Amino acid sequence: MTSETAKPRYEMVNVRPGHVIVEHDGRSRAVRSYFSAEPSPPVEEYWEGVHVWKHWGTAQSFQFDVLDHATGKTVTFNELLGLLYYGCCQEDSAIRLIGELAHENRISIYIAITYEAPDGTPTRLSRDKLVILNRLFNDRLQASKKKVLILPDLFDLYKTMSYGQIMIDFGLTSMEEGR
Amino acid sequence: MKLQELAAKLELKCVTQAFDKDVSGVYISDMVSDVIANAKPGDLLVTVQIHSNVIAAANLVDICGIVVTQGKLPAEDVVKMANKAEIPVFSTNLNRWQMATRLYEAGIR
Repeated sequence: MTSETAKPRYEMVNVRPGHVIVEHDGRSRAVRSYFSAEPSPPVEEYWEGVHVWKHWGTAQSFQFDVLDHATGKTVTFNELLGLLYYGCCQEDSAIRLIGELAHENRISIYIAITYEAPDGTPTRLSRDKLVILNRLFNDRLQASKKKVLILPDLFDLYKTMSYGQIMIDFGLTSMEEGR
Repeated sequence: MKLQELAAKLELKCVTQAFDKDVSGVYISDMVSDVIANAKPGDLLVTVQIHSNVIAAANLVDICGIVVTQGKLPAEDVVKMANKAEIPVFSTNLNRWQMATRLYEAGIR
């Protein structure tokens, strides 16, 4: 028998399975990604201004909204590409150091990696959305001594990380041994 | 049911430190995005994945432990990450379906 627990204020709703599509332009060496909810992810190359975007990779992922039970409002998180766990970052990186320090206090650091706009600039999550995201995941951990802290990408990790480091199913569907 | 009691009953090989926790349910998936979206805190994750992102997702959702099927073993750095996150990882030669039936027979619903 389980005891009745209070319903969390925030709930992940409208979970939409899809794919993160990564494209590159061979001439400018630009790389960009976007979410596609199409059952068969697009792989065709196409022109856009001076760029010729070619398919580089696909990862299974999902998008979601968050319902605030207190206000009845639903907040979308379409900017969010995925979460990057500090433990998946390089050992000598700043985020790894911060993550290790936070871990001593039972706080797990994750970085919210967002999609880039077509001009290459990242689409930042607003402070309000970060608050909601943190509440969403921490409310689930009520029975645990753990806490998570989801930070914005203050370190511009989106420029240096590989897609395999983010918690999306990029390369995970192959049966490789370890990372 | 306690995780280590369940592991002993099902003869699972623990490849990390033996952290003991309550098992409140089971979630079977090989996709980290699916785990994040649908698994519940306290679930035991049954998967064939041994990538470090499985530990990252399990930690985010507060999965009580991970059973890796089909005899696969995580790399040393993944084991280290699991130990740090206090997420016990077990290995079994059974496949996911066989593991699911054993868990059901052991009383996990």
